[in-house]
Amino acid sequence: MNNKLPFTFFRMHPKVILLEWEQDPSTETLKELTHFKANILKYSMGVSQITLGYCSLLVQWKEDIINYSDAKKNLIALYSNLSINSTPAKTKHWTLPVCYEGEFALDLAHLSSELKLSKDTIIELHSKTIYTVYFIGFLPGFLYLDGLDSKLFFPRKKNPRLVIPKGAVAIGGKQTGIYPNESPGGWHIIGNTPISLFNTKNETPCFAKSGDTLSFYAVDEAEYQKIQCVNNPKAYLTKVK
Amino acid sequence: MIEILKQGWHTTIQDLGRLGSQSFGVPISGAMDLNAFQWANKLLNNNSSAACLEMTSKGPELKFHEPSFIAFTGAIMQAFLNSKPVKMYKPIEVKKGDVLKFSSVTLGCRTYMAILGGFQSEKVLGCRSQYKGVTLEDRIVKENLLLFNRNAFTQKGARVKTKTTDYKDVNLKVYQGPEYHLLNSHSQNEFKTKQFTISPSNNRMGYRLNEKILQQLPEIWTAPTLPGTVQLTPDGTLIILMRDAQVTGGYSRILQLSDNALNLLAQKSTKDVIKFELITL
Repeated sequence: MNNKLPFTFFRMHPKVILLEWEQDPSTETLKELTHFKANILKYSMGVSQITLGYCSLLVQWKEDIINYSDAKKNLIALYSNLSINSTPAKTKHWTLPVCYEGEFALDLAHLSSELKLSKDTIIELHSKTIYTVYFIGFLPGFLYLDGLDSKLFFPRKKNPRLVIPKGAVAIGGKQTGIYPNESPGGWHIIGNTPISLFNTKNETPCFAKSGDTLSFYAVDEAEYQKIQCVNNPKAYLTKVK
Repeated sequence: MIEILKQGWHTTIQDLGRLGSQSFGVPISGAMDLNAFQWANKLLNNNSSAACLEMTSKGPELKFHEPSFIAFTGAIMQAFLNSKPVKMYKPIEVKKGDVLKFSSVTLGCRTYMAILGGFQSEKVLGCRSQYKGVTLEDRIVKENLLLFNRNAFTQKGARVKTKTTDYKDVNLKVYQGPEYHLLNSHSQNEFKTKQFTISPSNNRMGYRLNEKILQQLPEIWTAPTLPGTVQLTPDGTLIILMRDAQVTGGYSRILQLSDNALNLLAQKSTKDVIKFELITL
């Protein structure tokens, strides 16, 4: 693996260094970022947490960084030794049930006429894709998924809905996503999943993580209700890569 | 325990924040003015992470069903214990049956009330700060009781010399943000010279400013943000992210507030004037 993608340092705050990779997002960059993140957390003293963007890592220390050039040197050394220190964490693939019918698919008919694709074609295009989880942001448990079929690209609503129901599966611009909780939002709703994306009672509140992959499969309303009663995400883990 | 007779305008339970869960998209939360929050706990010799009430604009009306000690810091909001005015920045003994009321805030925006041993509310992901979708409630509600540890003790007469912040100070010390260099010299100069005012759209998530910066910057690949990050939207609006802000964003990050500036801004509200003072790291 090429782990020599160049990155830059930016001191954002006395406790924070932002690392940025100057290229378009790719699964290769993502793999390196998640691998690097795991190693920083493992080997860097005093780092309290790291958040991921498409092409950046925000590294936060517990205290003010006293020796910036040392901190920088340590990060560079860690990065160049990535493949020596460890192998990337295993990623998982999740197959989530989605009901694309009736009340759950508020905007499917509208999308179908605007995109000039039948509802079934939209469902097929949407569910057959294998999406990559880049990171979680916007809302607790909101997955940034990459891989939406370009035939389904559609601009966001000009006036966002005030309430989008929990579990709504939606399309906005070049992205698709699942609303983990009721919230306002400007994306077009095409279905709903009965699986909770964010549950604070679980040890890890969101089952998916950066680098995992995910696909959808269509279920009818009866099946949806059945799955909702059990609501066990682990049942939808298909394979560990 | 404490009975909530009136909720106040917007009263939440806060502590130091939910650090470490940002990978799941969970905002940091925590007291908006961490400085005042920490003083409140110090006055009672509490643990630095003990949960306090954050009272915005007008505090609640509370009835104590157990004795304890309390202390107030932050925005000037006159408190009355059984109708008698009590002082801020000083431990106050409360007895069973006492009723606590507040006037509206006269300087600043958020007042903190600490209680001996801290409030024993629901803890989610290691933290008691209330946030919609994470804790059961996003503020204190009348139907619930506020619990605390009645057996907590303190060395009596704990006195702390306090150095309070001047809430009238309009200068916010800021660092350059990651996209600051994309601004032309005219826009950069505006940040150095212009006064900005806080719009009515200000809350625990973010403060929008009235004045715009008329330079269009491209949206960025969604990237991490922090409390205190100043974003510039494509229509020129400036948004300062506060403690409950989302952990990533797609707008240019122009400035980053220093910790003191973020605490000071938390004490400002609609129509208040601010100026940015750029400092280097």
